[in-house]
Amino acid sequence: MSHDDCIPLAERKRLREKMIKKHNLANILTHWFNVAMWALLLPTGLAILSSPRLGLVPEGWQTLMRNLFGGTANLVRFHYSLGLLWLAVLTFNILVGFRRYFVPFSRERMLLDRDDVEWLKVKPLQMIGLARDRRLPPQDVYNAGQKLYMYAVIAGTMGIGATGLVLTFHRFIPWPGLIQWALPIHFGAVGLVVAGLIVHVYMGAVFPEEKEAFFSMFTGKVSAWYARRHHAKWYWRKALEEAEWEERVLEGGRRLRAAPAEAEPAVPVEAG
Amino acid sequence: MKAYGSSFLSRPRYGFVIDVARCIDCRACLVACRAENQVPLGNTRIWVRDLGLQGAFPDLSQTYVPTNCMHCDEPPCVEVCTSGATYKDPETGLVLVDQEACIGCGLCVEACPYDARYLDPQRGVVDKCNGCLARLERGEQPACVATCLGGARLFGDLNDPESDVAKTLGKAGRAQQLVTAETNPGPNIHYLNGDVQQTGLLPRAPRYASAETFWRKAAVPAVLAALALSFLGQAAAFTRQLLTGEKEFDE
Repeated sequence: MSHDDCIPLAERKRLREKMIKKHNLANILTHWFNVAMWALLLPTGLAILSSPRLGLVPEGWQTLMRNLFGGTANLVRFHYSLGLLWLAVLTFNILVGFRRYFVPFSRERMLLDRDDVEWLKVKPLQMIGLARDRRLPPQDVYNAGQKLYMYAVIAGTMGIGATGLVLTFHRFIPWPGLIQWALPIHFGAVGLVVAGLIVHVYMGAVFPEEKEAFFSMFTGKVSAWYARRHHAKWYWRKALEEAEWEERVLEGGRRLRAAPAEAEPAVPVEAG
Repeated sequence: MKAYGSSFLSRPRYGFVIDVARCIDCRACLVACRAENQVPLGNTRIWVRDLGLQGAFPDLSQTYVPTNCMHCDEPPCVEVCTSGATYKDPETGLVLVDQEACIGCGLCVEACPYDARYLDPQRGVVDKCNGCLARLERGEQPACVATCLGGARLFGDLNDPESDVAKTLGKAGRAQQLVTAETNPGPNIHYLNGDVQQTGLLPRAPRYASAETFWRKAAVPAVLAALALSFLGQAAAFTRQLLTGEKEFDE
């Protein structure tokens, strides 16, 4: 990372201690709610799949879950009731926070730009040990890999949700073909998300360079050092915002000195 | 959820013994079944098949063959059921549907070689003969058996040598099942006194819906491959991380 090469030690220390807000409370809560729902829906959903023709789930797990919940019917009921809760809360969050969170998040954090495309070309090569000399373009709040996973999760969640609704409300659906196709799509969408989830959990909780990402999912904050090294575009935007805020504060002070009669300095209340 | 293997002889195996010579096609069994099980009009759990006139005048005969779910030993419908809503009951050996768990996908309807199942459009679940389990638990015979004028139908535990069905079957010496060389799921209706192995009655090969084939042949391998790839990638990175050791400061 050449843009970090000549940062003096004292500055590095300061950056490590300075924290920047990355996730708001709504995101943190939604994330952990999602985790809890996946932790309950995945094992029960797997246990439902008992067809030996699929040969997927060990019989012991099917029996354990059926005994735990009191039979196939109750296991199925638990699974779809929780699934409905999951969908309801996600939908509620999106609708309630549509203007405050959803639109800004989608616009500022989710779209791929030219740097992201370049990143996607270079990063996979570097991961298998090639193109070491090529520089990774600076990334925004989320890097291009994270954005791609986000798309997979969104597509997967919509697929899981739509087919899950079909399966839950099967009695109102007069086309058995639709119910039949909902099954492999439900399964495939879960598989798609879980394949990514393995990497997501590893990168978020175990991979040393992303250590801060894990704690940020509780505190919402990452160090300026981490932000600058991994999400340079976002870091510099934040730094600029902060500088502008400081400038406005100073401007208020200057005006106070120039005309002391106006007791109220025009300092904006918003936090930096 | 496995089909019953070698140990099935030691368990109860309820089934029917049907004497086709005694059936007069009155269809009282259909009415009794519908009344007992609240089967909606337009559907039925049991049938009486007519093999038509046979022989030449004056040696004419006509055979009626009552059928319903064969409660097979290795039922294709159970094997294909996604959730285990259809299962072979270990207490009775009957093939049953837990309609609270059934999602009405109809994969089992396609799979059954005897077409003994139907989708109930009102409730969105699959329905079929359950040997009148509620009556069985009260010690009564199924409605179709209890109502049969000619005594064509018998029902009981084929594995119990003292049962009517086992005794009748033993005495008859010769009985037929509806099986072919290709399709033999081990049906538990045994027919006496008539040749029932005829076109229109013999089982077809189990049919599998295209969604089920797609699931089994495409979706499962694709998901397993994606999971394996993802897991191996993660495992390789983790191994490298362990070999490198921990750094206190990230430079």
